[in-house]
Amino acid sequence: MSKKVLVVDDDPDVRLFNVTVVEENGFTPIEASNGEEGLKLLKEEKPDLVILDVLMPRQSGIRLFRDLKTDKSLKHIPVILLSGIAKKTFLRSQKALTEFGGESVPEPEIYLEKPVEPEELSEAINTFIG
Amino acid sequence: MDIRKILFVTKFEELWFDAVESLMDLRKASFNHVVFLNVIEREKVALRRGKGYQKVEEVRLKEMANIRFINWAETLFEKGLEVGAYIVVGSLVKQVVTAAEKEEIDLIVVGYKKKGRIEQFYSSSDILEIIHRSQIPVLVYKYKPDNTIAVEKPFERPLLATGFSKMNQNVIDYLKPMGRVIKKVTIIHVGDPKSLKESSAMGVQKTRKKIRRKLDEQCDLLIAAGIDASPAVYVGTPAKEIVTAAKECNATMVITGTSSKLSLKEKLVGSTPRFLAEKTDIPTLLIPPVK
Repeated sequence: MSKKVLVVDDDPDVRLFNVTVVEENGFTPIEASNGEEGLKLLKEEKPDLVILDVLMPRQSGIRLFRDLKTDKSLKHIPVILLSGIAKKTFLRSQKALTEFGGESVPEPEIYLEKPVEPEELSEAINTFIG
Repeated sequence: MDIRKILFVTKFEELWFDAVESLMDLRKASFNHVVFLNVIEREKVALRRGKGYQKVEEVRLKEMANIRFINWAETLFEKGLEVGAYIVVGSLVKQVVTAAEKEEIDLIVVGYKKKGRIEQFYSSSDILEIIHRSQIPVLVYKYKPDNTIAVEKPFERPLLATGFSKMNQNVIDYLKPMGRVIKKVTIIHVGDPKSLKESSAMGVQKTRKKIRRKLDEQCDLLIAAGIDASPAVYVGTPAKEIVTAAKECNATMVITGTSSKLSLKEKLVGSTPRFLAEKTDIPTLLIPPVK
């Protein structure tokens, strides 16, 4: 059975792009349109990799990443952050949340800024589960 | 009720990022999540003879809004807030109500800019329609003519206008958890001049004393919750007197309750909440009855 990749993005066009790249690399995509749905699928499906957007309705990627990396049964899953939000902002927000009393979380494995080329995303995916 | 999640509705013409920043004081209570909403009016991308649906224009408008929201979101994310965004095509009221329901919003923030009479009629009736359909409090933001923000900290010294009806009772409950944000509340009641038609000055004073006592009871509820509050009695036309009182008390915001149903009369002729939303120079917080 092929490895599973959870794609979390609210933009259907971006989701379609990511899903296509995942499939072309021989993996099985699972889709979620916001962080809340993403967290539910993470727990149910235990994917091998997550491709995650940051700015989304219901729950942002910042919160989902934090939930994932502080959950003992999920924290080993690698995450590719794919967003229009700058990496520097993402890291500062995690720092701010830690200062507000949250648990410290590691940096994401890979951070790509939108828009991304298919080759770049393929390479990032294969780094972890190729 | 805690204000944890705010829906910020912007057309980028009448509500800017400084309005969000002025609400940062609410973080001392429990505010931690902002959801941005930009509704692209259907007419801007509608079917046109010989052109069809203007998909390219829709993409352009959505991306322009997205770029703006990314900038705003970056600032808020760095402060440790949760941020979400919706950019949709449709009717304003419907999209606001839908987003508010999906996100379980505690407060909707909209901008109000004085416009021509016809535009003004529609925009203020939209605001009341949003309250009545969503049953969520709406904060109507105001800008000065030079586009600078009307007040720096709207929740600091609110003026609460009460009619002692049921719809005003939950306004007190709404303010109670904000002890760390509000410095002082002035609670006013505007008496009907007819009720003061007593034959003697003492009779008039008696009526005033009765109103004052009721106001004191409401103040006590806030004081018990750790919020400084004082009463004030005015007489005259409610909407006009509330505007006067807000100026005299140096209020940073006007708060009032709204009725549960939007009557035809309210839609066409107007009501006190609508007058306040249109006429005050400071933000107006309109609170619907409890669901």
